[in-house]
Amino acid sequence: MIGLLEIRRRKVQFGLIAIVVTLIAYLVLMINGLGIGLNELAGSALRNFNADAIAYSEVADLSVIRSELGQDTVDRIQAAQGVKASAAIGYVAANVRQASGRIRSAAFLGYDPGSIAEPEVTSGRALTAADSRGLLADKSFLKATGLRVGDTASVNLRLTTEQFTIIGEIDQGAFFFQPAVYVLRDTWRELKYGPPSPGQPAASIVLLKGKGLTSLKGDGFRAVSKDVAFANIEGVAGQQSTVSALQGFGYLIGALVIGVFFYVLTLQKIGQIGVLKALGASGFYVFRQVLAQVLAISIVGVGIAVPLAWATGKALGRLPQSVPIAFDNTTFVVTSLALVVTGVVGALFSGRQVAGVDPIIALGQQQ
Amino acid sequence: MTVALRIDGLSKTYGSGDAAVEAVKNASFTCEAGQFVAIVGPSGSGKTTLLAMIGGLLTPTSGTIEVNGRDIARLSKGEQAKFRRSSVGYVFQANNLLPFLTARENLLVIQRLSGGNRGEAEQRADRLLGELGIEKRANALATELSGGERQRVAIGRALMNDPALVLVDEPTASLDSARGRQVVTSLLDEVKARTKLGIMVTHDPEMARLADVVMEMHDGVMRQAAGQPA
Repeated sequence: MIGLLEIRRRKVQFGLIAIVVTLIAYLVLMINGLGIGLNELAGSALRNFNADAIAYSEVADLSVIRSELGQDTVDRIQAAQGVKASAAIGYVAANVRQASGRIRSAAFLGYDPGSIAEPEVTSGRALTAADSRGLLADKSFLKATGLRVGDTASVNLRLTTEQFTIIGEIDQGAFFFQPAVYVLRDTWRELKYGPPSPGQPAASIVLLKGKGLTSLKGDGFRAVSKDVAFANIEGVAGQQSTVSALQGFGYLIGALVIGVFFYVLTLQKIGQIGVLKALGASGFYVFRQVLAQVLAISIVGVGIAVPLAWATGKALGRLPQSVPIAFDNTTFVVTSLALVVTGVVGALFSGRQVAGVDPIIALGQQQ
Repeated sequence: MTVALRIDGLSKTYGSGDAAVEAVKNASFTCEAGQFVAIVGPSGSGKTTLLAMIGGLLTPTSGTIEVNGRDIARLSKGEQAKFRRSSVGYVFQANNLLPFLTARENLLVIQRLSGGNRGEAEQRADRLLGELGIEKRANALATELSGGERQRVAIGRALMNDPALVLVDEPTASLDSARGRQVVTSLLDEVKARTKLGIMVTHDPEMARLADVVMEMHDGVMRQAAGQPA
């Protein structure tokens, strides 16, 4: 194809355009990666729950923070029709003081050992009923604090400080932008409400396994799917729309920049296009050459940007204070395809210009 | 000899109303295959407009252009492109080679546009480059060729599709007289050898003398040059 041959012969000219496409693709990929990273921070722990549905207090408006369930409500939820397995979970945000004196916030989740809420331990051991001052810490928490399994951490809540031993490491992610820390449910209740007393809430939410539970409603509770629960995490909706807007602008700017570059390139080549047409090339033939060039440059640009973004994500992940960025194969594939399509759409303006070139220009050049 | 080109009452007007410019006025003539015709005249006399209409690059305002019995004056844009691909070889004044292609690739562009057998096209391109004496420069980029070499490549390109019409616009404008004569002689040989109709627009009376027929254009009006057979 003449268009592709031209790229091979004009490496500098097309190389510069490929660099611009690479930078735009890199920018859009990084924005998408940040979007995923922020989502993970917002609620990967919730997404990682071993549950088909999550039950909240009826009046909590699907807020884990505001949801409080009494033992009788928990019992009713667990006895509801279709529930195959369930687990009550309590949530409270608490500060952990490191040996250096630095304080870090963590999402403390109270669970019952042996229930479906029990996280998988990647090092150390699982909690037993005797570990009232033991905790399972997410790997991101240990990385950020420098603590290790077996170390002691001071937990500050309600004007008191309690010493906890890190019993095991887990990979459950984060909740409300804080690393997840699992403790026994009784310990959670104590941290949040103080010494046991009658009428204290038994849980914040209840994880449910079973079919058809995502619209379950009953006396004092309602259940929703994990996706709905995630979307209702405070701040997630605003964050999602911000990231979506950034992605949209990224694609728009990409289309405009690629379009303008090819448009300018086309204007510079009007004479050559006129010659091709004077030699008998149809408008469609010349348009195909431009399209092939845009596709080739877009694929090369995106092809360079993908490993670059992946490597950047890995490098940022190694920092002690890691930037919330994450990638998955779907993101790479979808974003890459979207960018190539965006480039083609942008270059369609050049295509129209090309199709309209009059072959008489071939003579005009010499007059 | 067969009449290859019959032009009757051909006119071309640019613009309209008070701004209208009649570039070609009621031109009528015939040419035969195997002839090499020169059209001479001052700048702005309508030579290039006439050539562009014969080559299917411009649509006339009125009149007919019959090429081998087919009126090409009223073809659609697509049909004009097809006519140019199949029946016209154009040598432009500035040769207009594609600068990022080699001499050989510039000839093979015609095969890319027309389709057909690639191997046969390569053989034909190599033969034409040899006949034009530039086979050693076959793999040089167009930008690396001298003015004379570029013009000869342009002639080779014009002959690649074995056209019925070879149209040449001021082929010697950028060449010295010796090189210009060599280029026109090459062209004349090709036209004669393959019984084509060659039409050359030129300012240069010396080059025009090489043609079988010389016609003059003045202010859009065409007439047979003095001393030429009617």
